[in-house]
Amino acid sequence: MKPLPKALIYLHRLEDGALIFALLVMLGTAVGQILLRNLFDTGLMWSETFLRVLVLWVAMLGAMVATREGKHICIDLLPSALSGALQAWCRALSALFAAALCFVLAYQSLTLVGYEWEDGTLAFARVPVWVCQAILPFGFAVMGVRFVLAPFGLRRQSR
Amino acid sequence: MILLLALLLMLLAFLGAPLFVIILGAAMLGFYATDIPLAVLPIEIYRLVDTPLLLALPLFTFAGYILAESRLSSRLVRLTQAALGWLPGGLAVVAYLVCALFTAFTGASGVTIVALGGLLLPALVQAGYKERFSLGLVTTSGSLGLLLAPSLPLILYGVVVQSMDLPISFSLRDLFIAGILPALLMIVLLSGYSLWVSKGDALASKPFDGRETLAAFLAMRWELPLPVFLLGGIYSGYFAVSEAAAVTALYVLVVEVFIHREVSLRDLVRLSRDAMVMVGGILLILGVSLAFTNYLVDAEVPQQLFAWISSYIESRFTFLILLNLLLLVLGAILDIFSALVILTPLIVPLALQFGIHPVHLGIIFLANMQIGYFTPPIGMNLFIASYRFERPIGELYRATLPFMLVLLVALAIITYVPELSLYFLDAPPAK
Repeated sequence: MKPLPKALIYLHRLEDGALIFALLVMLGTAVGQILLRNLFDTGLMWSETFLRVLVLWVAMLGAMVATREGKHICIDLLPSALSGALQAWCRALSALFAAALCFVLAYQSLTLVGYEWEDGTLAFARVPVWVCQAILPFGFAVMGVRFVLAPFGLRRQSR
Repeated sequence: MILLLALLLMLLAFLGAPLFVIILGAAMLGFYATDIPLAVLPIEIYRLVDTPLLLALPLFTFAGYILAESRLSSRLVRLTQAALGWLPGGLAVVAYLVCALFTAFTGASGVTIVALGGLLLPALVQAGYKERFSLGLVTTSGSLGLLLAPSLPLILYGVVVQSMDLPISFSLRDLFIAGILPALLMIVLLSGYSLWVSKGDALASKPFDGRETLAAFLAMRWELPLPVFLLGGIYSGYFAVSEAAAVTALYVLVVEVFIHREVSLRDLVRLSRDAMVMVGGILLILGVSLAFTNYLVDAEVPQQLFAWISSYIESRFTFLILLNLLLLVLGAILDIFSALVILTPLIVPLALQFGIHPVHLGIIFLANMQIGYFTPPIGMNLFIASYRFERPIGELYRATLPFMLVLLVALAIITYVPELSLYFLDAPPAK
């Protein structure tokens, strides 16, 4: 297997970093909210919604990494029973199918973000809804690209 | 045409396409067939943001991953062995209790078998239990405790049901309370079976050692308060579940990383990434099935399903038997999170029609899934145990079989005695 280009490695680190950062912010906000409520009897109006959006972002970032590492949950009965070449074809076929659906979803999400952008509704504090949704088209597009690339990565490995 | 595409989708599922893609495809197909624009898909997925309680899932997962990485397992075995090991046949009981607790906190991802099984198996054999019995015991215990708070599948069931529009409402706390007696029943029956099987064996039981017990107790002084304030807080209603999750995650992080120093910062980076990758995989499935469920409801599939089923089945009794059979099979094939997310929206409306309380249904559901973990030929824990203990898979089939029969008895009681799950609930039972 060819070593990955440097730029790609940094990109992956950045992605991992974003995922872990989102988790820590989530934990910090959730704990902070409890402290504020119990000790000072106040709270931040926006923290509830912010946390819920963060869960979505963690989910999408996590799913992106899962696609990169082939860690999505699947019923892997048939391919694991098949031999080398046939197995590679199975995986390639299902990966391309996955890519196609991800691209459709990315396109639909982008349209949604466009509408929300024109609308300009606010989700919480001064953050508009379209910013919160932006992870959807981005995430699904990245997953799509990775599903397209997956079979080539596998073939390289099996040689 | 639609049917053909649906069949193609099933084929792709077996070819190893990710499950979220299959559900997404099914939703697209459904919307296409009913002339609904695909633009609703992202709107449905974005509904994840409106799903209450979801925050608890990543935070509890994170806490569980940290606990699994620490040496909590050996401390837990040491303490329970010291405190209960002197009882005749005590070690088997210890094994069940420890595994149930550990699984409730770390999720039944197989980590119980890997972390605890490795400690318990030699201890059991050394104490004089037969090898095959011990092997069966640790493999079976790998999924014991699914019904106890704060296990992730229990939370996920609650999350999925609450995202539906049901006439009966209940809280996650109700679900947590409902799981206690059924889980205890399983432990009691398994313990009884173990005592009965091993009554001829010359079991070594250690005399009670007060000093060792105290030392083991002190070694766990940081972790022991956790279940007390967490469960106490949730069960008493002082904490909301997502708050309890946040507090637990922070507490576990501080204890294992900074006080015990068993998880290095480098480990922490790796495990928090791994934990969130798992969460991402589950939540993505949840997101696309929100869309798929919406299609099902629009197309009145649950009603049609009920009409079709009720033309064959009239009694609740038969419905429950068939439900158990279906869930046992699916529990062996599907992983627990996907099974929950996909099947719950279909089964809950059906069960309501048959007068089954959704809380009771959740307990039945998870009890089935728990057995599915070690149902031959492809229950996940069988493979994990086979790998961990380096035994052929066939040996594990034979070793777990008697335990499975015991748990099937427990399942039957749980299914047909709803009071076991609903007795302590504030909510009135379904008629």
